[in-house]
Amino acid sequence: MVRSTYDEMYDVRGDCRAHYRTFARWLAATPAEQLEQRRREADLLFHRAGITFTLYGDDQGTERLIPFDTIPRSIPASEWRKIEQGCIQRVRALNMFLSDLYHDQRIVKAGIVPAEQVLANEGYQLAMQGIDLPHNLYAHIAGVDLVRDGDGTYYVLEDNLRTPSGVSYMLENRKMMMRLFPELFAGQRIAPVNHYPNLLLDTLKSSSLVDHPSVVVLTPGRYNSAYFEHAFLAREMGVELVEGADLFVRDERVYMRTTAGPQPVDVIYRRIDDAFLDPLAFNPDSMLGVPGLLAAYRKGNVVLANAIGTGVADDKSIYPYVPEMIRFYLDEEPILQNVPTWQCRKPAELSHVLANLEQLVVKETQGSGGYGMLVGPAASQAEIETFRARLKANPAAYIAQPTLSLSTCPTFVDSGIAPRHIDLRPFVLSGREVRLVPGGLTRVALREGSLVVNSSQGGGTKDTWVVEEPTVAAESREV
Amino acid sequence: MKLAIHHGTTYRYADQVRASIQYLRLTPQDSPRQRVLDWALELPQSAHAQRDGHGNILHVLTLDEPHQAIVIKAHGHVEIDESCESESDPGSPLPYLCSTALTAADAALRTFARSVCGKSRDRAALIGLMERLYQHMPFTPGATRVETTAAQAFALGAGVCQDHTHVFLACVRSLGIPARYVSGYLCAAGSDQLVSHAWAEAWLEGAWYSFDVTNQLARPERHLKLAVGLDYLDACPVRGMCRGGGQEQMHAQLQVVPQQQEQAQEQ
Repeated sequence: MVRSTYDEMYDVRGDCRAHYRTFARWLAATPAEQLEQRRREADLLFHRAGITFTLYGDDQGTERLIPFDTIPRSIPASEWRKIEQGCIQRVRALNMFLSDLYHDQRIVKAGIVPAEQVLANEGYQLAMQGIDLPHNLYAHIAGVDLVRDGDGTYYVLEDNLRTPSGVSYMLENRKMMMRLFPELFAGQRIAPVNHYPNLLLDTLKSSSLVDHPSVVVLTPGRYNSAYFEHAFLAREMGVELVEGADLFVRDERVYMRTTAGPQPVDVIYRRIDDAFLDPLAFNPDSMLGVPGLLAAYRKGNVVLANAIGTGVADDKSIYPYVPEMIRFYLDEEPILQNVPTWQCRKPAELSHVLANLEQLVVKETQGSGGYGMLVGPAASQAEIETFRARLKANPAAYIAQPTLSLSTCPTFVDSGIAPRHIDLRPFVLSGREVRLVPGGLTRVALREGSLVVNSSQGGGTKDTWVVEEPTVAAESREV
Repeated sequence: MKLAIHHGTTYRYADQVRASIQYLRLTPQDSPRQRVLDWALELPQSAHAQRDGHGNILHVLTLDEPHQAIVIKAHGHVEIDESCESESDPGSPLPYLCSTALTAADAALRTFARSVCGKSRDRAALIGLMERLYQHMPFTPGATRVETTAAQAFALGAGVCQDHTHVFLACVRSLGIPARYVSGYLCAAGSDQLVSHAWAEAWLEGAWYSFDVTNQLARPERHLKLAVGLDYLDACPVRGMCRGGGQEQMHAQLQVVPQQQEQAQEQ
C-alpha cells in the first residue's frame, strides 16, 4: 500500500519549505566532520548532565540515554498559533468535562457521553465526588500528542491528563542546540521555551487559594523512569523535591518534615499515580504516598496537580467524545481534529476492526507508553492473530484507528540523513489562564518506517522550533 | 427494633508508636431503614469529621505524641425499621460496577455467576446466587486473611463475611449489576449479641437491596449500616497506619445493652 507522507522540511517537489530554508543553507554549508563532532559532543554532554531514563521491563534497570537528534523539527509561527489555540480549546473543554463529571454530569444527562462509559470507567474516582476544586481545575498540566497525516493536517492522537512527562527533554534539547549551534539562533527568530519552569511554578501557585502558597514536587523516587525530570523541574522552579515519607498529615493539613520543623505544604505537583497517593484510601501497600493525604485534599487544605481522577478524561474510550465536549461546553467548533476512532465495545465497529486488522492501529483504552498496541501494517500475522483473540475476549478494552502515515523529519542515521516519523507533544498549563510555551517535545521513531515514537520503544527526541517565517528582507540576508 | 450499641476497639503495640493516623468510618447515618437517635465517638484526641467520596462519615484521627495503645469507642442508640426492603439513592450506581483488586472476578467466578443466574438479573436470581455461594464456601473462620481476594476465597471454598461479600460483589458486577460493600453491625437473631459484620448491596430496579451471604438474608432485619464502598478497604470501620510500634494486637469489644460484657465476635 502506497501512502503519501508529509515531510516537515521538503515539499512533494523536493523543495525546502520556507521556514526550513535558513537551516537548510546552514546544514549544506557546515562540513560533515564538524556536524559529527558536535553530535558526539551532545551525547557526552547529555551523559554528563544525567538525562537518562530507565526502561520498564528491563530487569537490569539499565539507565539509557534517549537519543537526541540534532536536526530540529521546525514549525512556522502561523501554523503554531493554530496548534496553540487548538490545544487551549481542547484542554479547557477537558477540564470542564472533568468538573462536570464529578458534579452535575450535565454531559451525561444530555446524552452526549454514555453514563456507563464514564461512571463505570476505571479512571473515574469516587473519591472526587462531592468536592469543589479551586477554579474548577483538574488537569493543570496536560500533554497533547499531535501527529500529521499525509496532507499535513494535524490530528490529536491522545490527551495526557495524568502525569504527562517529557518536558525536561524539551528544555534540555533547546539548551543543547543553543550550546552546540549558537549561530543558528543568531540568524533567525526562534521562539524561546526556557520560561517553562516559571510558567509551571506560576500555574501551580495560582492553583491554590492561599496567598504565597508553598509548592513541592512529589516523586515516587529515584527508581522511577522519570526521576530525572522530577528533580530537574523542582530545581528549575526552586522548590523542594520530596518523597512520600518527607510529608505527613496532621489535622487534615499536609506538612513537610524539615530540619527547621514541620513546614505547611499548599500545592503538591505530584508525579505519582492516583492509586499510590494515600495508602489509607487507595492501594494499601503503597510506600510512595502520604497517609491521610486524601482527607486533607477533600477538605480543601492542599492542591494536587493534577487532580485525582483525571484519567477518566484521557482514557482512549472517552477520546472519541472530545470534539463533542468542545461543542457542548464551549459552543465552539474544534480547531484540532480527532483521529477517526472505532470503539470495539460496539459490536458493529468491532466487526469492522476485526475484518481490517492489517490496516489499523489497535490500542488498549487504558494503555500508555506504546505498550499493548498493534500497528497492523507493521505487524506479523502471528501478532495480528494474538490481537484478534484479545479483541474478541475483551472488546471494550480496545479502540482502533486508521494507520496515519505520520509526518517525517530529516534525521541523522547511520547511513547519513534520512526521513524518520515524528510526533509532537505540547505541554498545556492551566491556571488563571491556559498557556503553552511555543513548541513542545518532538519524538522521533529512529527505526526506518517505524511509527512508534515512545522513548520506551526506541524513540528519540529533537529540538522543536517555532520560527517566524522569513520576510523578503530576512530571506536575502545570509547566515 | 431499637438497638443500644457500645463498640470498643483497643489497639496495643509491642513498642511505642511515634505517630499514627486512622480513617474511622464508625458513624451511622439516617436512612429509611435506620434512624440514629444518638451517637458518639470517644477517641484519644478530638478528630474532624468529613464525608468521603461514598458519602460515609469519616473521622481522621492523627496522634503524633508517642503512644502504645489506641482506644476507640463508639456508642449510641439506633432504631431499625425491619420492614424496609430497599433504599433509594440520588447518586448514580454505575461507579459500583468497577472491580477492585479485592473484588476482581476471575474466569471461575464469572462462570459460576453465569451458571447460577443464567440470563436472569433480578432479585430472585441474586438470592439464588447467594444461596449457592454459601454452599460453595461455608463460614470458616481462620481460613482467609484480611488481604484475601474474592478469587482466592472462592478457590478455597471457605471464608468469613468479608470474603462472602467480596465474592458476591465480584459475581454480581460480572453480571453487569452495580454492587457495593457494606460494613456495619449485626444483632444476631434471638440474642442480644452484636457483631461487626459485612454484607452486600446490589442495585436492582432503581434501589439498593441487601444480600447478607453469611447469614443467608435478603432482608436486612438486624443490620446497622456504618459505611459503604467498593470493597472492604473502602468501607472498613478503621483503617490506619503508624510509625514504629512493632507488633500490633487488636482487641474489639461489642455490647448491646442490657446484656453486659459480651465478647465481640468478628464474622
